[in-house]
This record gives sequence, C-alpha cells and structure tokens, in this order.
Amino acid sequence: MIDDGKPIFVQLAEQIENDIIDGVIEEESQIPSTNEFAAFYRINPATAGRGVNRLVEDGVVYKKRGIGMFVAQGARERLIAQRREGFREEYLRPLLREAAKLGIDPKQLSDMIRTEEVTA
Amino acid sequence: MSAATDPAPVVRVTGLTKRFGSFSAVDDVSFSLEPDRIYGLLGRNGAGKTTLMQLLTAQQFPTTGSIEVFGESPMENPAVLRRVCFVKESQKYPDDWRVKHVFASAPWFFDHWDAAFAERLIEEFRLPMKRPIKKVSRGQLSAIGVVVGLASRAPLTFFDEPYLGLDAVARQIFYDRLLEDFAEHPRTIVLSTHLIDEVSNLLEHVLVIDDGRVLIDQDAEDVRSSAVTVVGGRRAVDAFVAGREVLHRDGVGGLASVTVPALTAAERRDAADAGLELAPVSLQQLIVRRTNTTEKEFEKTS
Amino acid sequence: MTATSPSSTLETPRAEQTNRIWNVVRLHLTNTWVIVQTPAIILALIFAVNYAIWAVLDVSISMDSGEAVDGTQWSGAATFIFVYMSVVAAQAITVTFPFALGYSVTRREYYLGTSLLFVLVSAGYAVGMAILAAIEEATGGWGLGGHMFTAIYFGTEGGLARLFVFFSLFLFFFFAGAAIATVYMRWRMYGMIAFWAALGVLLIALVALFTYTDTWPAVGEWFATNGASGVAAWLLLPTAVAAVTGFLVLRRATPRN
Repeated sequence: MIDDGKPIFVQLAEQIENDIIDGVIEEESQIPSTNEFAAFYRINPATAGRGVNRLVEDGVVYKKRGIGMFVAQGARERLIAQRREGFREEYLRPLLREAAKLGIDPKQLSDMIRTEEVTA
Repeated sequence: MSAATDPAPVVRVTGLTKRFGSFSAVDDVSFSLEPDRIYGLLGRNGAGKTTLMQLLTAQQFPTTGSIEVFGESPMENPAVLRRVCFVKESQKYPDDWRVKHVFASAPWFFDHWDAAFAERLIEEFRLPMKRPIKKVSRGQLSAIGVVVGLASRAPLTFFDEPYLGLDAVARQIFYDRLLEDFAEHPRTIVLSTHLIDEVSNLLEHVLVIDDGRVLIDQDAEDVRSSAVTVVGGRRAVDAFVAGREVLHRDGVGGLASVTVPALTAAERRDAADAGLELAPVSLQQLIVRRTNTTEKEFEKTS
Repeated sequence: MTATSPSSTLETPRAEQTNRIWNVVRLHLTNTWVIVQTPAIILALIFAVNYAIWAVLDVSISMDSGEAVDGTQWSGAATFIFVYMSVVAAQAITVTFPFALGYSVTRREYYLGTSLLFVLVSAGYAVGMAILAAIEEATGGWGLGGHMFTAIYFGTEGGLARLFVFFSLFLFFFFAGAAIATVYMRWRMYGMIAFWAALGVLLIALVALFTYTDTWPAVGEWFATNGASGVAAWLLLPTAVAAVTGFLVLRRATPRN
C-alpha cells in the first residue's frame, strides 16, 4: 500500500480510515499500536505515529491512557460524510473529464451507469 | 531546534571541515542529530558520508570546526565512545579470525550487548560461525556488521552502506529487526547509503551530503512531498510550469516531464483540468535531481 | 598520562576504564593461535630439526668433541621467535588497531592494552624459554651437547640472568615492531621509506664512526664487560623509547579507508 505518492503518514491514516469505513475495524475497538503499524508496513515508527495522531486530531480515534488507541463512537458516519464531500472532486470530475475526451456525453454516461448497476 | 525544552541533541556539529591535502572531504558542515530517531545519511559515494562518520566516531581528526557527541568531544573520550557503534562498510577483521571470534569479542566492548538477540540474528542470517573471516562472502560480511550494529544496542549507531551484497531476504530481515528492536529500545540510528529507495520508508529525517556539504537537512516526510513531476504534452506542461522553479526536465517527442516544487490542492486541480498528469517523486529521484546527477550514474557510484 | 577526558559529565568509573584496557588484551587473545599455538609449533619444529643435526654431529664426531659442540653455542635457531613477535606486534597495529577503533576503543586504551599484552606475553615466553634453557643445561644439551636456548648470546650468567635477557629481548622486539608499524599507520609508504632510510643512514654512520675512530675493539670490549644481561639492561632504553614513540605516533594515527 505504501508508495511514493503522498506522505506516508497520510497514506497510513487513509488506510486506517478505509478499514473503519469497510467495518474491518469496528467503533470502540482497539487499533494496532504505532509500532505494530511500523513493523507491518516497514515504515518509521515516528511516521506511523504521525498518521495515527492525524486521526486523533480529526476525532476518528481516541486514546485510552495506558491501553491504546480506540475508534471513536460515530467515526464511521463522519468519515463517510467526509468522503462523500470529496467524492465529486476525486471521482466525478476525472470521470467526466475522461468521458469528454472520449466523446461520451453526460446522458450516455448516466445510461452507462444505470446499465452497470443492473448487471452488477 | 533551539527551544530550551528540546532534549539535548546526541550530535552537534558546527563548521566542521576535513581536508586531505587540498581536497575537502567534509566542507564547513553544521547539523545536529536528535535522540531516538532513525536518520538517513544520503549521498553519492565519495560525497563525504564515511569521512563524516569517521569524524563523529573520533577515527579521523577534524581540520577545523567542533564536534559534540553526547555533549562532549568524542576525541579519545571513552565515556562518549562506549555509547557509540560504527559499522564500517569495509570493516577489516584480524586475518586469522573466524566469524565466531567477532561475536565472542564484541560483547566486551558494548555495554548494552544483547547476546540472545545476537544469537537469533546470526541464525536468521545463517552466518557460518566456524568459517575463516577471509573466506566469507561480501553479503555475509555485511550481515556480520548488521548483527554487531543491532545487538550492540549502542545509543548512537552508525551503519555505513549496511546491505552491500545482502540478498533481498537478508535485507528484509535487517529492516524488520531494525524497526522491531528500535521500537523496543529507541536509540539514534544513522543509516548511510547511496541506495535511497531501499530505506526511504524507514527514515524519520534525512541529511543529504554532496561534495562534502549538507544539501538537505529535513524531515523525511517533508522531503518526500516537496516535489512533484508534471507529465503531459510539451506545450501544456511548459505553460503550467512557467514561473515555477524547475528541478528537472525530461522529454521525449512531444511529451514533457518536469519536476517542480510541491503544488497546492488548487494547483493540482488546475493541472488535472489542463489534462496533465501528476507523478510522485521518490526520495531517491528527488535527491538525484538536487545533486544534479542522472539516476543511473547515482546508483552506479558504488 | 592524558589530558583527553577530564571534566566529563559522562563519568566512566576508574574500574571501568581498567576493564576496557583489559578487554583490549582479551581482544588480542580472542584467537590464541597467533600468539600461542603457531609460534610454539614452529619453535618445536625448529628444535626438532636442530636435534636431528646434533644427533648427526654427535655420531660423526663423538670422538673428538670440543669444537663441534662449542660451535652449536653460536646457534641462531631461537632467533625466529623474536622476529616472529615483531611481526605479531606490527599486525596488532596495522590490523587490530583499526578494528579496535571500530569497537569504540580509544587510542590510549588500545595502546595501553596492547602494551600490557606485550609485557605479559614477553614474561610468559621468557619463563618458558628459561625453563627450556635450564633443561638444556641439565641434560647436557638434550644428551647431545646441543645449544638452542642456551646459545652464547643469551648469556652464561645462569638461569635468572638468562630469564632477564629473554624478557628484555622479547620486549624490545615487540615494541620495536609496534613502533615501526605506527609510523606506517600514520605516514604510510612515505613514513616507511623515511624510517628505513634514516635507520640505514644511522647504522652506516655508526659503522663509519667506529671504523674511522678505530674504536671497534672498544665496542667489543663494551659488550664483553657488560655481559649478556648488562646489554639486555641497556636494551630496555631503546625499548622504552620505542614504546613512548609508538604511543605518541599512534595518538594521531587514523585507520585506512
């Protein structure tokens, strides 16, 4: 998962967010420690710590003294809402741009989406 | 770096110069290393990395400038040196030694030596304990150094090109054990290498040396996101990068690929709208660009 | 001795320092072959060859003894061991020194530890050879009138004097070998060329001095009056000079890359 695109700590934070959205990590459950993340992804522990801290700042996870990090109540809802906001920017616009390049007009595109839904 | 609340640096170097005749191997260098971090000392071969480490470990004498390690000069200072371990790239051992002799003697000199850990590493690297040291392969020689460096648990450990000749499996063992042990026993580790992509993710901070000077002294994550390559039609790329600092330019036919400093979110959108692709720049690529060499040349300097 | 690590806030207890010097001794003895087994085996082989020669001489000229047996007094068979120790000392400086720096040993610790090793090994070998000399004497030259450990250079003033001669010779060869090697470590080939040239010039000058002043008889007389143990005592002087020089040179030496 780690590539050279974004800073590693951002990638780690997004990875954990994905796991929360997918339900792999449930709310109020403990997430792995910084060192475990570092060992698993072969990254610097301080970098892993920064990724986790970013989630703490966003209120996605919280710290239980002496135990570890836990996913906050309602984190999944909030993350989904956040992702929805970014959906247009990150997925819709590139889709429309590519469609325009290929001469697919918006109507054809929505038809394609509808048929895709039926077959999927 | 100056706040009084910061922990005292492990290494503080000011105006350090080392000349061999008229050649400056290290040229007016100043920097410090904070405790409990993994540093990358990066640069081409011959850039001055090894000389710098030899100065920090009191094996070479500085021409001018000051060196403080654990707050004191390391020169002939046992109190400092006993906390330091320097694994040299081309470590020479007494001619008549066998591999086992290295591990028999190392514990006498490193206060925090962990024998069980050493044993485990020796097994993992499959070191031939009874083989004469003159007959072991380059990779095994590197592995011996890695085991000494890790098991010494020295508060300041230098690895000079630690994985020359190590195969992929052995390198992974090194990275895994390094991270694992660092997590349990935090200490200051300096990985010196010209093969940057290999270790890039392990580093918290990078020092890039070129021609004996410090070119970059920055948080690894900041360096990583400090540049981006814009790829697309030559005209579109030229229009987009106009007025920006160009770190590198490449092209084939009507295509251009230009590396520029990091872009804001809005700028990224503009680039996308202009039909341009944005490609990440790896730490190694970035350093190659900044040291003005081709990547091939860079990797070949070994 | 040193002005290097005073006012340290990272105090190293004195016992700890002594310990580190002792560890340098142990470092040299990590593989005992170089210092113990190998020279002992070679010495034994040389002895065996000499024994065979004595046996042949014994058979062929047992009738009119005297001359031949006296001739073995001038045996140089035991010189090997001294030259060997010079080479060991040189290696301790050229190979083990850079290695020890990698083990975070200071130059001072290294030199003191290595010197201690030289003294201990010198004492050990001196005792060993003195015992062999005593046996040689007691058995009338191993029953064959041979001389290896009681060669004329080691003196004729009895066992204790011989022990001292052996000890002094070992010390000299150790510290001279080490001092020459430190010159190499510090100034490489140029240092070697300069050193051997200077030594050559010095020897030629001495020879010329004695020849032109016609004082060779006086030189011979000096050796005769001092005796082996007297000369050995004087030998401690150049040994001390070599030891101090070695330390001063090594203090600024750097390992090769």
